[in-house]
Amino acid sequence: MTHVRIKMLIVGLVLVASVSYLAVAGVKSGWVYYMHVDDFVLDDSYQHRRVRLYGLVDEDKVEVQPAMLTASFDLRGTSNSVPVHFEGVVPDTFKPGCEVMVEGKLDEVGVFQADTLMTKCASKYQSEEHEKRIEAIQ
Amino acid sequence: MTADMGYISLIGAMLIAAGAFFCSALAAKDGLTGALLWARRLIYVYVVMIVLSCWSLLSALINSDFQNAYVASYTEKALPTGYKIAAFWAGQEGSLMLWTLLLAGMSAVAVYSYSKRETIEQAVMIRILAMVCGFFAALMLFAANPFEQLPVRAVDGRGLNPLLQDPYMIIHPPLLFVGYAAYTIPWAMLLAALIAGRKDNQWIGATRKWLMVSWLFLTIGILLGAKWAYIELGWGGYWAWDPVENASLLPWLTGTALLHSIMIQQQRGMFKTWNAVLISVTFLLCIFGTYLTRSGVVQSVHAFGGSLVATFFLVFLGLCVVISMAVIIWRHKLLKSEKSLEGMFTKEGAFLAVNVLLVIITLTTLVGTIFPLISSVVLPEPVTVGPNFYNKIVLPLGLALLAVMAVGPLLTYGKDAGRSLAKGLLIPAITAAIVLVIAPALGLTDPWALACAAIATVSILSVGVGLANAVKQRLKIEEETAVTATLHVIDGNHRRYGGQFVHIGMVLFMIGVAGSSLFGVEQNFRLSPGESASISGYTITFAGLHQNRQANYTAVEAQVNLYPSNGGTPVELRPQRRFYDKSEQPSAQVALNSTWLRDTYLTLGGWNEDGSLVAIQAIINPLVAWIWIGGIVMSIGAVFCLMPRLMSQTVPGPMSSPESTSQNKRKPASVHLALAGEGLCEVSSTINTNISNKETEPIK
Repeated sequence: MTHVRIKMLIVGLVLVASVSYLAVAGVKSGWVYYMHVDDFVLDDSYQHRRVRLYGLVDEDKVEVQPAMLTASFDLRGTSNSVPVHFEGVVPDTFKPGCEVMVEGKLDEVGVFQADTLMTKCASKYQSEEHEKRIEAIQ
Repeated sequence: MTADMGYISLIGAMLIAAGAFFCSALAAKDGLTGALLWARRLIYVYVVMIVLSCWSLLSALINSDFQNAYVASYTEKALPTGYKIAAFWAGQEGSLMLWTLLLAGMSAVAVYSYSKRETIEQAVMIRILAMVCGFFAALMLFAANPFEQLPVRAVDGRGLNPLLQDPYMIIHPPLLFVGYAAYTIPWAMLLAALIAGRKDNQWIGATRKWLMVSWLFLTIGILLGAKWAYIELGWGGYWAWDPVENASLLPWLTGTALLHSIMIQQQRGMFKTWNAVLISVTFLLCIFGTYLTRSGVVQSVHAFGGSLVATFFLVFLGLCVVISMAVIIWRHKLLKSEKSLEGMFTKEGAFLAVNVLLVIITLTTLVGTIFPLISSVVLPEPVTVGPNFYNKIVLPLGLALLAVMAVGPLLTYGKDAGRSLAKGLLIPAITAAIVLVIAPALGLTDPWALACAAIATVSILSVGVGLANAVKQRLKIEEETAVTATLHVIDGNHRRYGGQFVHIGMVLFMIGVAGSSLFGVEQNFRLSPGESASISGYTITFAGLHQNRQANYTAVEAQVNLYPSNGGTPVELRPQRRFYDKSEQPSAQVALNSTWLRDTYLTLGGWNEDGSLVAIQAIINPLVAWIWIGGIVMSIGAVFCLMPRLMSQTVPGPMSSPESTSQNKRKPASVHLALAGEGLCEVSSTINTNISNKETEPIK
């Protein structure tokens, strides 16, 4: 009986150890700071790291070249903004003024090179969207 | 008119649930059968009220009653009727309404089917169900009213989000809600059994059907969601570890663990506390997931609003946590284990291992999902963990699960398998070794892929070995052909062989996941008409850009020809971008060529004005088809588990599985008889175990 217990204990310990190792490795490799564009501009300690930024697409300087699969725009917060250059398929929901999330790194000339661009999609459950729709109807 | 009826019946439903709550409270306190009868009747009336309410919403949708804000917001006149009906669950209000309807229906079925039980147990179960039903009715009335009226009737509605105009989206949400709703019943049964002070393990057998149904629907629902994401969202993947996806995965994981651990309680009287906690956690995770996705506390690509709904769910979640914990702690003496684990290589040991692994995966997913919340407490800025975090942990644990699955069919209850296990694993192990030698020669060198291939081989073959052993046993006693004997053996134990069929599905699913995540290739091309490019075994040629007009959208499509490099038949693919009349943004329509071995997945990224240059994203995803095939196999297995016996048993019989045969050998003659009777009178597995439980009790 106790024999089984000891065996189980050993198996348990090995499992716990390996899972914690995996967890630490996983967190390290997937570790991305997630911040608003204002905080990013104000705090330069994040400017050489890979981060995920969210903010609004400035209505002015938006340049989408669908055939080249690029989009350049200013990501703005309330007080600051960062120029972003994105390469890849631009999501359908992307448009000036919408809320987006980009992931990437700042380059030497101060342009945020993004490889991921996600828009906050008009989800089926979004009630803000619902209210907007109702307003539009009225 | 109908809108008023819908709202009024919602009010009625809430009051009736309150009535059922008080009647059952009365019945539980004083054991009044009259009050119990009324509590039961009120649950049925609740169903009628909710049906009326749903019917009026549905008729508003079908008749395009644009006075109703929900109808105006999610449909338009030109929408096909099928999508008008599907718009029922396109928004928050309607989807909660659907959940309420399913919950009501299942509560009524549960109340009806357990109406022979002891008064107190029934009364407590009805009280719990009435509480949940009442919560949902109140939620609809105060936080998510689908009958809100517009001051002025709209001329036309705003239309359904184009992403949702897809057949998969029509069935995906209701299936998930069936799963969520069905997990309420085992929770109510657990609390009822504990509060009523039941000492036996029969009730846990009765929860199994509900757990199985929930599991089946959640599995299909999650996979259809994945399929929808794959063909509709256009990024080439089927799972992104998004909080909303995770929310549906969490109860699935604990529910899967439960299906294994309740069997040990049924058969051996062990793991009682564990099961009680797991049943509660599974139900709570359904509520928690809904809270998480409705509250916006975790940033997700699915943006959600509606804070009042979230507050409702949070308060309800807190209440349910407190109730579950209080009852489990109060009745902890009823949950003492009757036996202890006798060996590692026993069925109990394997089930325990499966449970531990699944719970670790659950915790990983949970921690990853709420990591931004956790990290914002410690760090100045919240940190998100990407898909890497999940993949790093879940992939190895998934392989470990496969490994346990591989030995599972060869283990027995209570006895360390030892030598017989080694014997049974001989053929599968040799075959796996051969696979490991051949695969690298064919160019497969990735260590993860090799491990997956080897373990998958062993898992599938050991199911075969287990079945062959059982058939051999039967042939010793019966004069039958091998085929008849095999059919009898399989039919004689639906739970066992249904479960193993599910395992085979799971293996196929894992093969698909491994193939597509380890060997997927993605490349962007910019092509002029007539120009070609090559990607992983294919040459793609862009033939030209066309425009065509459909009922409610205009599509721009690229004609792309796909030539396999090995000279197979070329395929024409037409990725599109559609401009729906009622939508501000275009939506991509992926073109997919799917074969057993790989999917070729093309998205039209964009084009320049004169159509002389297009951007095409091409993704080659190996083995994706096996994910869906695995899903179908899993679902068939689960349905088989739920089905009653199909063949008539003419001979009172030999045991249907090696585990029961080996049990026979160790048991006194009286039990032998009772177990032999099992073969005759088995109507469902629940009754079956009830008998064997009763009969085995004196031996202890």
